[in-house]
Amino acid sequence: MEKFHNELKSLKRDILEMGDFALGMLIESMDAFKNLDMQFAEEVHSKKDKIMELETILEQRTLELMLKYQPMAKDLRTLACIFTALVHITRIGRYSKDIANILLKELKDKQQHMKKLITLSSMIENVESMIRDVLTAFDTKDLRILEGFSERDDIVDEQRMEIFRECLTYMMEDSKNIPFCIAYIMVARYLERCGDHACRIAEKIHYMVEGRIIEVR
Amino acid sequence: MKSNNNIIESDKFSFWYGNIRALKEIDIQIEKNKITAIIGPSGCGKSTLIRSFNRMNDVYENAIYGGRITFKGINIFDKKTEITDLRKCVGMIFQKPNPFPMSLWENIAYGPKTHGIHEKSHLDEIVERSIKLAALWDEVENRLGESALGLSGGQQQRLCIARALSIEPEVLLLDEPTSALDPIATGKIENLIIELKNKYTIAIVTHNMQQAARISDYTAFLYLGELVEFGPTRDIFERPKEKLTERYITGRFG
Repeated sequence: MEKFHNELKSLKRDILEMGDFALGMLIESMDAFKNLDMQFAEEVHSKKDKIMELETILEQRTLELMLKYQPMAKDLRTLACIFTALVHITRIGRYSKDIANILLKELKDKQQHMKKLITLSSMIENVESMIRDVLTAFDTKDLRILEGFSERDDIVDEQRMEIFRECLTYMMEDSKNIPFCIAYIMVARYLERCGDHACRIAEKIHYMVEGRIIEVR
Repeated sequence: MKSNNNIIESDKFSFWYGNIRALKEIDIQIEKNKITAIIGPSGCGKSTLIRSFNRMNDVYENAIYGGRITFKGINIFDKKTEITDLRKCVGMIFQKPNPFPMSLWENIAYGPKTHGIHEKSHLDEIVERSIKLAALWDEVENRLGESALGLSGGQQQRLCIARALSIEPEVLLLDEPTSALDPIATGKIENLIIELKNKYTIAIVTHNMQQAARISDYTAFLYLGELVEFGPTRDIFERPKEKLTERYITGRFG
């Protein structure tokens, strides 16, 4: 069984690395978005293949470990957590690509933003810290890191609605604002979804550590 | 589990082989019409425990018991308890199939005969019913006169189960019944065991944790003669409460 535990350890390390990679994509996509940096956006966009490839490879490795060792108890729960986390991490990577895409498709000829991106900047900070904490909790099994996660997600949800309402008034004021506002609304939506994916992973980490099924809203 | 449906209960049951204490104050309950699996590393006392349920350990000269085991509320170590009566109610199947060197028919009829049934048609009936219950009938119905030793290992084991069923026991004790069988024969026996729990109560010792997880309702983990953890099978294998259980079932032992 030592071989299994070594393989499991290495799989966990690679999942964490993939998590870092997806989080990196998200941060980069938002940097590109804030600076209207098309070249940087192209770079982020091109990383989507890598995330899909990682998902396939790590999923296969997870299945292989289940097949070979038929794990029990916390090992079983860890693999269950990895299986779900993989899907959510991949989604975060894909939303990052989507954010880059909005920039490349909808805002490609814009020189500067129509307004200061205050709420959006705070939102990416919040979502980034949620994803970072989820990855740390997965690594350390320290559930205290995940305390108050629902409340943090509530703030992100609220920020998304704030951006929506704000953009609605801008669009009513002047229809020329529409391309920017649609982009802001969509990016806010994607960030909010990334926060949700962090919550789903947090739930599975609880299951992995304690065997309890809980709901992180 | 504390329940009114328990058919066997042990109360601080201990067992010594001479000076060696094999079981330490075991409290376990075997629930009616359920499958209870007993797991643990070699030498943990799981076979000793299951063999205590029908007093198989009596054959050891210096066997010493402490505490008690009840079968349907009656202390099985009571002087008034007839061992043959107990064993008629609590049958046992071993790791290696051990059919008698006789015909299939005679293997099954042997028990009922010793319990006083001699009428051929009645015995025929018992043979057919028992072999059918053991899910062996379709494979052997035309070979009842042949030697049981000509059957495959898996068939022999099902014949032994049929033999145990012939005297209509209430409890079946199985001591690693599939460890000498291939996966297909093992699958047949497992399906059979699950079928049988509708009519019988089953306690099974197994080294194969996946087997315990597949077929049992409750699982007991024994270590160094002590009952470390006992609970619903799903809980034991998904979220055991005891560190020791977890270390054993995840292979972090030693």
